[in-house]
Amino acid sequence: MKTLKLPKDRLDLFASVLQQFGEIHAPVEQNGQFVFRRLERWSEARLDYTRTILPPKKYFLPPRECLFRYRRDRGYEAATEGLDRRLVLFGVHACDIYALNILDQVFAGKFPDPYYQARRRHIAVIGIDCTPDEHCFCRSMRADFVDKGFDLFLNDIGDDYLTFVGTALGDDMVLATGSLFSEVTRADIEAYKRRSEAKRGAFQLDVEIRDLPEIFELEYGNELWEELGDRCLACGSCSMVCPTCYCYDVADDVAPGTTEGNRVRTWDSCLFTSHALVAGGENFRASRASRIKFRFYHKQRGFVAEYGRPSCVGCGRCITACPVGIHIVEVINRLREAEHAVAG
Amino acid sequence: MSGNGRILVVDDDRDFVEAVRTLLTHAGYEVLSAYDGRSGVARAREARPDLILVDIMMDERTEGFFTVRELRRAPELAGTPIVVVSAMYDRVPEFQIPPDPRWLAHDAFLAKPVVPEALLACVRQALDARAAAGAAGQEVKP
Repeated sequence: MKTLKLPKDRLDLFASVLQQFGEIHAPVEQNGQFVFRRLERWSEARLDYTRTILPPKKYFLPPRECLFRYRRDRGYEAATEGLDRRLVLFGVHACDIYALNILDQVFAGKFPDPYYQARRRHIAVIGIDCTPDEHCFCRSMRADFVDKGFDLFLNDIGDDYLTFVGTALGDDMVLATGSLFSEVTRADIEAYKRRSEAKRGAFQLDVEIRDLPEIFELEYGNELWEELGDRCLACGSCSMVCPTCYCYDVADDVAPGTTEGNRVRTWDSCLFTSHALVAGGENFRASRASRIKFRFYHKQRGFVAEYGRPSCVGCGRCITACPVGIHIVEVINRLREAEHAVAG
Repeated sequence: MSGNGRILVVDDDRDFVEAVRTLLTHAGYEVLSAYDGRSGVARAREARPDLILVDIMMDERTEGFFTVRELRRAPELAGTPIVVVSAMYDRVPEFQIPPDPRWLAHDAFLAKPVVPEALLACVRQALDARAAAGAAGQEVKP
């Protein structure tokens, strides 16, 4: 991976040049929180943001999208508009890029999803490092550093950004800017190491994920799940803001009295009553306790079995979004304590 | 006299805007103005000028780049020539604007300070090109 540096006072010029690679979207402040959206001017970008309400997932797997249209006389027609829209997502944190890498495994694996993949091909990702707040635990989830999934990644080393070039497209971006980037020196690398060390020390949340699948296996009947079920409102907020939750529902949108319609997919949540409801009225997870337990087990146990790692990246969004204060780190730590108590 | 066309000047330098207004008004153009990118885009969408002159370094150093992009996004302004008038080459000499129309979707670039004859010639040429494309039934796009 090529490493270069970009002076901070040239970042606005660099961002302007990036417009040839697509419309620039970046985190901007909205009512005291942050959202990714299209920039109308560079000063709207808030690169010091903590976390956006919705993760960048919304660009690749939109909350609602039409998959195809059908008409009795014309058959089926794929809905492909916008799939080739070129965007540059500027200022994506490492945990959210890690999440995209996880979604890549899901949507490019056994059942390739052409809609997701087309968007992934056409949307450039410029990463930027960050300072953890009290809800971040990406380091515990090994998602505080990424070596793929981005075109460029900017690391703050004082007056410059030490920049990792991740793809050929990222290299093209550097070349398009003429002389804005330069070679890194030994002093720049030392500055990067100091910055990484400081970041590591700034984490306030820590969770040990070693042995977690085993602990989940043994704590399936723990009373904690009933307790969480009593608290959970089944609102689905945790799933909606999660950068790796990818459940969706597919339904036909047909106007009454017509013979044409759209097949539409929308984000779904395993916390919703209808998630495991099947024809005939059987609901495999009718209770809230069973649904919240399922969510934890899929993230921390089932996904490990399938893909070799938990699907949680420690972004902290579910912690901030939960209206009743269900805290993923506290849940994991309680399970670990229960397991240790038995073992002791 | 304003029968030659309507021109919007987007520039935060009010003295420059007034100088251009005087020059273009004498040449028979109607001149509208805006002093930052956002109001420039709003004014353009409302007034539908025949040509737009845009500065780059306004309230923000890169404001014009984003303004041109916003102007090009507006369907009602499709085909409207955009002439960038900027001192950027002098102010940030190490930053050269790449000759890629996908990046800066302008029709012409004039470096400040502008020679009046050059500005008039550029405006005339851009408007003639638009008229010719319109007569040929083409959609004018950069």
